[in-house]
Amino acid sequence: MPSRRTFLQLTGLSAASVTLGIAAPTTADATPARPIPDGAFALGVASGDPRPDGFVLWTRLAPTPLAVDGHGGMPASQVPVQWEVAEDSRFRHVVRRGLAIASPDLAHAVHPEVRGLRPGREYFYRFRVGTQVSPIGRTKTLPAYGDQFTFATASCQAWYHGYFAAHRDIARRAPDAVFFLGDYIYEYGIVAGDNLWRAGVTVGPEHGVEIETLEQYRLRYSLFKSDPDLQAAHAVAPWFLVWDDHEVQNNYGAANSLYGVPPELFVHRRAVAYRAYYENAPLALDSLPQGPSSRVYRRYDIGSLARVHLLDTRQYRDPLPVDEADRVSEQRTIMGAEQEAWLYDGLRRSRAPWNIVAGGVVLSAVTDDRTEQWDGYPANRRRVLEAMGGAGTSVMLTGDIHRHVASELKLDFADPASRTVGVELVCSSVGSNGDGTDTDAYAKDWLQHPYMKLYNARRGYVHSTMTRSELTTEFVNFPYIQADADAQPNVVARFRTPVVDPRLEAL
Amino acid sequence: MRRPPAITGLHGAGGIRIVTLDWKPVSWATVVDHYAVYADGALIGKTVYPHFVHRGLGFTGVTRSYSVVTVDAAGNRSAQSSPAAVANLTSVTISGTPIATVGTFDGKGSELALSPKGYAEYPTRFPAGVDYTYGTSTPAADWSYLLPGPADKWAGTKNHRATFRFDLPAVPEQDLDLALWLIDSHASLAASALLTVNGTEFGRLTFANGATKGSTIADSTYPGSPLKPSYLEVPLPKALFRAGQNVLELFKDQGSWIAYDALGVFGR
Repeated sequence: MPSRRTFLQLTGLSAASVTLGIAAPTTADATPARPIPDGAFALGVASGDPRPDGFVLWTRLAPTPLAVDGHGGMPASQVPVQWEVAEDSRFRHVVRRGLAIASPDLAHAVHPEVRGLRPGREYFYRFRVGTQVSPIGRTKTLPAYGDQFTFATASCQAWYHGYFAAHRDIARRAPDAVFFLGDYIYEYGIVAGDNLWRAGVTVGPEHGVEIETLEQYRLRYSLFKSDPDLQAAHAVAPWFLVWDDHEVQNNYGAANSLYGVPPELFVHRRAVAYRAYYENAPLALDSLPQGPSSRVYRRYDIGSLARVHLLDTRQYRDPLPVDEADRVSEQRTIMGAEQEAWLYDGLRRSRAPWNIVAGGVVLSAVTDDRTEQWDGYPANRRRVLEAMGGAGTSVMLTGDIHRHVASELKLDFADPASRTVGVELVCSSVGSNGDGTDTDAYAKDWLQHPYMKLYNARRGYVHSTMTRSELTTEFVNFPYIQADADAQPNVVARFRTPVVDPRLEAL
Repeated sequence: MRRPPAITGLHGAGGIRIVTLDWKPVSWATVVDHYAVYADGALIGKTVYPHFVHRGLGFTGVTRSYSVVTVDAAGNRSAQSSPAAVANLTSVTISGTPIATVGTFDGKGSELALSPKGYAEYPTRFPAGVDYTYGTSTPAADWSYLLPGPADKWAGTKNHRATFRFDLPAVPEQDLDLALWLIDSHASLAASALLTVNGTEFGRLTFANGATKGSTIADSTYPGSPLKPSYLEVPLPKALFRAGQNVLELFKDQGSWIAYDALGVFGR
């Protein structure tokens, strides 16, 4: 009888891919050793990391999603999860199926990687565990050529501040992909009478403290992911995920906490936070954290239409500037030297008419004291804009500020006559800050600049349609979100951006 | 089930009402969910850090046996680590003899002037700072519940002084102890104050950051109180003192306010 190691080599599987919920040995029994409690798919299904020939599927078994130990009510044993991918929603034409092992090490999340599919095509998928079948997900492979690509961008989903009308509308529109630009969870304690503004819900005391341990981060993902509209948005399209600070702690950078946790301790917090992020996102195995580090910046090609660069502007950033000389220092970086080189190389080598660059925080110049965003890293920003200027037209996608903002990316923001190298589309929050208002006291900081074309302080998302000649963008907001998820969408602004001589033309 | 490794190097240090524990974490090869911390066999908390502060202890030193269990990402639990015996410190308010005090050491600042939220009146009530003479002055009139710092705009964005005068019949035969208890302090700018005894600069007292709530709430003892009390106890060499009137000065030339519980000088 071959050893386990030999067996895995014979079947072409790495031990890691089995133990990490990607695959299973071919002899693995598809039937769980013990029945799994009902409702195993309470956290929904998702897909992500799309490629021309496949994508990553995701689910996490959690029959009791809010079990305080973060294990979702699952037994502490390995459980086989079957998956299948079909060309039709009735699964008459199943084109791929497989088995992945859900293990307690990953909170019973699975991340099967599907390959060998056709480009630019809609697919449907579902999971099965024992006799339970998951909801059906719809996803798409990236195109081989790409004459049109639709995408939604969203960020900042403070579950406790309101309902996810934005996700409901994204699900209704079924774009080709969704970009989520960070603050998927928030680490704060959730307390009735304080920050719990989502009408009609209560939470137990275990949610009332700032999260710190892996079980607490897992529980927080479970709480947010229990939202049916978020699940619907995941189930409708592949997601490109970027993180920002609240996946770990407010305004952290690298190993630095702003709340008095020394770096040699804080890396332990970062390790569990990154781990829970991976467990709860449709990410490929190369984003699995190693200790306190995780490689999440990565690149995709949408045929020859656009190159997508997903940034990590948290893990490698320099600390907040100590003074103005530090802020404007040539050495300062928000990306880290390695990621900077990677981005500039990727831009330089791209032959696509468009480059989509997605990050957590706003790139455009606003005020010098906004040191949390790229205003705190002007030298790095100049290098990025120069690299953008040498490539196809750039579309910068960011969030973080809980406001809709549209900006033209100037090669030099200090010089209004300098070339426009692309546009920045800043999406407002899905939930954070509650209902909001159309404008507020910060508007003047943004609208003082001629390159800023929109400012709106209600909740919402952005929907874009990209062709080889132009990008049309809709900024969608909602009149309220705290009372329920039924608010009707309102298009607050529409812009056209030609690929040649880019700008924001109001429509 | 694979048991994760137990931590090593557990050690601790006692303070007033607290014990601080540190240890060597397990290697990154183990994906840790958290460390479960035990005192005398009872779970006292969970942390992801190789560091834990056991709070809420008494004012009299008690030795406890601490140990730590590693809980990994799968929920597996290690064996108990090797234990460490650590005692919290006995407060001088318990072990010493009070010589001169202002306020009571009870977790509340309500007996002090302007408490619980009269800070806006501080500049008019104490324009030259606080000057308190033990035996003559009264806490409710003469000892402000807050000592502001230069970071406080409401107090004029300037340094502030609190002077505490008391009599000694003779130079003490042994060193004395200063107890300075706070019900709370600013959450990030508690910073420090310069302590002067009879004109001699003794050194800086560095305060623990609190919760920035003690400027409006006087009681740190009720269940769920948001205040973060802290305790400073400092030995003062007998050579600093003299027969007759002695003068202690706190000069807050850094950071923001502290909120007193009580202050006192104790003999041994």
